[in-house]
Amino acid sequence: MTTSILHAHDLVIGYEKALAPPLNFSVRPGEIVVVVGESGCGKSTLLSTLAGVTPTLSGDIFLGDKDLSGVPIHKRNIGLVFQDPLLFPHLSLIDNIGYSLRASGASKNAARIRATELLEWVGLSEIAGQKTWQLSGGQAGRVALARAIAAKPAVLLLDEPYSALDTATRLRLLADVKTLVTSEGIPTIHVTHDHREADLLATRTLTW
Amino acid sequence: MLSQHLPRSLKWLWILPAILLFTFLIYPLSKLAATAWSTETLGELTSLTLWRVALLAGVQALLSVGLSLLIGIPIARVLFTYEFLGRGFILALVTVPFVLPTVVVALGFRSLFGDAIPNGLLLVVIAHAYINIAVVVRLVGAQWSTLDPRMEVTAATLGAKPLRVFMTITLPALRNSIVLAASVVFIFSFSSLGIVVVLGDGSSTRTLEQVLLRSTSVLLDFPAALAAAILQLVVVSLVFLISARISRDEPRAKVALERAKISGRKAIFVVALTCLVAVALVLSPIASILWSSVSSSGGVTLQWWSELASTQNTRIGSPIAALGRSIGLALATAVIAAILGGAIAIAVMSKKGFVVTLALIPLGVSAVTLGLGILLAFSRGAFDLRGTGALIPITHALIAVPIVVAVATPSLRNVDPRRYFVALSLGAAPLRAWWTAFGTVFSGVMLAAGGLAAAVSLGEFGAATLLSRTDSPTVPVQIARLLSKPGESAFATAAVLSVILVIITMTLLLIVDRIESRKVLT
Repeated sequence: MTTSILHAHDLVIGYEKALAPPLNFSVRPGEIVVVVGESGCGKSTLLSTLAGVTPTLSGDIFLGDKDLSGVPIHKRNIGLVFQDPLLFPHLSLIDNIGYSLRASGASKNAARIRATELLEWVGLSEIAGQKTWQLSGGQAGRVALARAIAAKPAVLLLDEPYSALDTATRLRLLADVKTLVTSEGIPTIHVTHDHREADLLATRTLTW
Repeated sequence: MLSQHLPRSLKWLWILPAILLFTFLIYPLSKLAATAWSTETLGELTSLTLWRVALLAGVQALLSVGLSLLIGIPIARVLFTYEFLGRGFILALVTVPFVLPTVVVALGFRSLFGDAIPNGLLLVVIAHAYINIAVVVRLVGAQWSTLDPRMEVTAATLGAKPLRVFMTITLPALRNSIVLAASVVFIFSFSSLGIVVVLGDGSSTRTLEQVLLRSTSVLLDFPAALAAAILQLVVVSLVFLISARISRDEPRAKVALERAKISGRKAIFVVALTCLVAVALVLSPIASILWSSVSSSGGVTLQWWSELASTQNTRIGSPIAALGRSIGLALATAVIAAILGGAIAIAVMSKKGFVVTLALIPLGVSAVTLGLGILLAFSRGAFDLRGTGALIPITHALIAVPIVVAVATPSLRNVDPRRYFVALSLGAAPLRAWWTAFGTVFSGVMLAAGGLAAAVSLGEFGAATLLSRTDSPTVPVQIARLLSKPGESAFATAAVLSVILVIITMTLLLIVDRIESRKVLT
């Protein structure tokens, strides 16, 4: 347990009724765990439970040695990327990416430097001045990923983030995800119904 | 597209509202401007006193906006993002203050606070916030219900504390509706009359509308009145312009969101507390009026109710006579507004946008200005309508016209115009086919227009003060006069009249609501 970053012990997820038997799993440093399962089996609920959006029905979640029971979302240090990019439309791309750094007290300048670096990393520095709604689906997905990892969360959760995009773009983006989270050293849980994504991304695959 | 679905015989009917609006709106306002405009008006426009009143009214209106937002936003959050038993009831309840006659609201607060809060800025601001909670809740809530809650969750996963999430994500997302609500509340409070007359202190709470009324009905100083009307119109237009400028049109994904069920003790507590506060806020002044109508220094009594037909407490005609007069005027207003509403519906269908724009003019022109224009235009020669009793209903119908447009336009646009061709293809003559396709919505618009206008007429204070004769006041005018008199009996009689006015107004609005909920309008 001490070597794992995230550990679920007899975790029961669901809304009023359990969606699955108690879950026990760990995510270790540097791992990209891909959870594959059919639509509606509870994959998204698992991520939203780990992030603290949905309360657990029973069981425990540990981040390192810290029990996350009752810890609010903003104090968990767990990043979450939804199916849609959900960029904040009133903020610039740089401010979107730097949001978590500003929230954790970093100066505007420090946040801007890191955001610019990440924007460059995801290959979008030439469109830094664009509004969020002017981006293509693929570009918005890249910005959402950069925003999620900017403050280096302890764990990153990806809830089929690019499922609305065409297959070619999605697979290209997932390759970028792998490069980025590996280089940043952020352990990641990715849920999907597509086995090809597991083949592309996973250091370990869990089938639901 | 709707214009193609009008039978030839109805195609020219838009001329009717155009003529009516030109005759009873444009002509009187032009007449007012022509009569009152002089070099003196220019002098009045540069008068420091007038600008001081505008400044005071502006400060008062800003404070009213602040308090309305402070109370309205949390209620909007609870009512539009959570689903729970009684949500619809609470939403209807918080709308009530907006439709209450302003003098009734003023009486409610006077009765509720007694000497604890003396007349003045604080009481005026509280009363304005009370009336305008509905504006904030409805406008901000409507936008809140379309916000994707995952935005807030995303911000929280990025480490933002709840307050930061609210300030940096939720508030900016609600910006347009907050700006719109704030500008509407500002305009209502800036041009307020009934509230400031009854609850004001005569100095820090003055409004241009009050100056306008005093200049016309007491001082007979028309240049000063016109200057006040012009300044008020300029401020109102500026506020609308600024509000349009501040609002940003950011394309957002349209999501059909379901309201969340309440889960967790904290959420249950927050929702319950907010609902409790909302109910207490809305009902306290009303309950206080009811109590005042059945109590005296000697205890509980029905004396004030039994003296409804007597002139003993009023000395300006019996309360029942004022009620009869107000109801008669409201009925006449309803008929005029129904005809006008129907004609405007035809104008909307004929795509005659300028008629609709004309109909919206009363939004920017105060009731007193409108009343004064009507009085000047129709009190002489062949157009002398003073003896006919038509001046007040015409003015009230015009005041209600923008509301009628707001109700009619979306209803008419929601009708599937292909029904007209279906009816034609089934052999109906054009007029019959038109009635088959649009008759229900058309009659619904006329009924709603009549009902809403009657409700407006029952509670309208400014124009009625100017246009009603001293010995035959309407109910709101009589309430205001009673409140300016000392003594328990005058106050209690005003309370009795207010209770009756509340009951009639609410009944009327329930009927209009019923028409809408039976989908007559869509």
